[in-house]
Amino acid sequence: MDVLLSVRQAGVVFFLTLRYLLTTRRGIATALLGGLPFLLAVALAIGRVGTFDILLFQTLMVPLFLQVVLVFVTLVLATALIREEIEDTTIHYLLTRPVSKPAIALYKYAGYFVAMLVLLVPPLCLAYVVTQGYARDPLGADLDVLAAFLATTVLGGAAYGALFTFLSVLLRRPLPAGLLFGFVWESIVGSIPGDVPKLSIIHYLKSILKDIVGVGPLSSYPTDISAGVAAAVLLVFTAVALVLALVVFQQSEFKQKA
Amino acid sequence: MSAPVEAQDASKWYGEVLGLNGFSASFGSGITGLVGPNGAGKSTLFKCLIGQLRVDQGSLRLLGEDPWNNVDLKRRLGYCPESNQLYGWLTAETFVEALLRLNGVKPPDARKAARESLETVGLTAAKDRKLRTFSRGMRQRAKLAQALAHGPEVLILDEPLSGADPVARVQILDTIARFAHDGGHVLMSTHVLYEVERLTKNIVLIHNGKSIASGDVQAIRALIDAHPHAVRIATPAPRDVAQALAGLDHVASIEFPTPAEVLVRTRKPDAFYRDLPGIVLDRGLDVRGLESPDDSLEAVFRYLVG
Repeated sequence: MDVLLSVRQAGVVFFLTLRYLLTTRRGIATALLGGLPFLLAVALAIGRVGTFDILLFQTLMVPLFLQVVLVFVTLVLATALIREEIEDTTIHYLLTRPVSKPAIALYKYAGYFVAMLVLLVPPLCLAYVVTQGYARDPLGADLDVLAAFLATTVLGGAAYGALFTFLSVLLRRPLPAGLLFGFVWESIVGSIPGDVPKLSIIHYLKSILKDIVGVGPLSSYPTDISAGVAAAVLLVFTAVALVLALVVFQQSEFKQKA
Repeated sequence: MSAPVEAQDASKWYGEVLGLNGFSASFGSGITGLVGPNGAGKSTLFKCLIGQLRVDQGSLRLLGEDPWNNVDLKRRLGYCPESNQLYGWLTAETFVEALLRLNGVKPPDARKAARESLETVGLTAAKDRKLRTFSRGMRQRAKLAQALAHGPEVLILDEPLSGADPVARVQILDTIARFAHDGGHVLMSTHVLYEVERLTKNIVLIHNGKSIASGDVQAIRALIDAHPHAVRIATPAPRDVAQALAGLDHVASIEFPTPAEVLVRTRKPDAFYRDLPGIVLDRGLDVRGLESPDDSLEAVFRYLVG
């Protein structure tokens, strides 16, 4: 295998994907959504909310950022990677080049991952800065909180993205399945007793937050999984979902639209 | 040396629907026109040839190889899809250049080759415009440019003239002709039948997933000798013309579709065309125009499928 050629090809697909996800109307819409944490922090500051501090930041970011923004942005981006190209019939331009289908899917996923970080990390950091500034706390005072949310963004973005990519190569309509998983299952699974919550991504993200942040709204979250173990589980999950996506895509056929 | 495309009893099912039904054909070098109505199986065949569908039965070979998941084979083929969807947010040059780089061409060479390819199809002036601003004809040419840019051996063109304006059609046809003249193989499907005949004499007719006839246009035409050949004659005196022609033993029927036309059906079109000028001159007939609605692939096709 020509490694240099593969690297060049990876670069082309990666940058095409990145450009598509960030510079088209889709990118603008997801950027607005991704900016919600920052907008909320600014709104709280402008509204001079008395209790606006790092604790309120966490209380709001878990449901808003982790359970809505992260899921929605990853769902919108990941389903555009392959399914949208299939529906648009532009996938043929990539598939008639000397690049294997799994390689195309992998390079696109890499583009998705970077796009996701570009859209989610800056608003999160800015929301933290606004929070600390408003509460007149030093920027470095609660870096554990920022680090925890950044870690969940990276790991959650990778895991959700891999799952939604798999759904998008498996299903003709991945959005309903993605919405069902992301907003229904992920929301209710925490209420189910026993080990059932371990069958969700959000459980491991909350475990990371609980373990890294000393005091916060998740202090009493029912989990004994450490951040390290949770991160490992999410990485394994990501790898498995990606491999499944690549295997399914390799065998996929692309028939004429009716 | 085997033909560029060889199909032997190739079948492809979409659930219960048969996209290809025991399709057998051998497409030779040069340009081959694949002709058939919508749903005949043309796009299914092309998708199998470019490796995006796998035949369920039989075999299909492109340049001697099985196309399914054949990465190396893709270096040797250029594909122009029927759909007009492009990466609208890219300029024409960026689009062709990016795809060239996927073929392994280094960036400076890719840029040069992209410009040359766009020049070939007459899109130099529009190379820096976003593809979403392109007209249908321009999109067709952009698709052809990306199919040609890496110097493939085979071009597979799915309805390359669809929606193209007259200028674009001429440019597309010229480009295809030059590619074939330079040694490339072309397989193209189109409904613009007279333009297929302008480009090539090699035709394969496909219907319901089967090859129903193939070969030289004239050879296919010979298959329908049992079916009378229609000739429409424009004349202000249709009854005089009809009377003059009724005596010919190969004339099967005469009709008057309009007050200024005669429709003649003849079993021997060669003899008819040979004799007609003499008859017109001898009888002093006023003939304003001559058209054969049958002298086209469409009529051949209708006759063959019934």
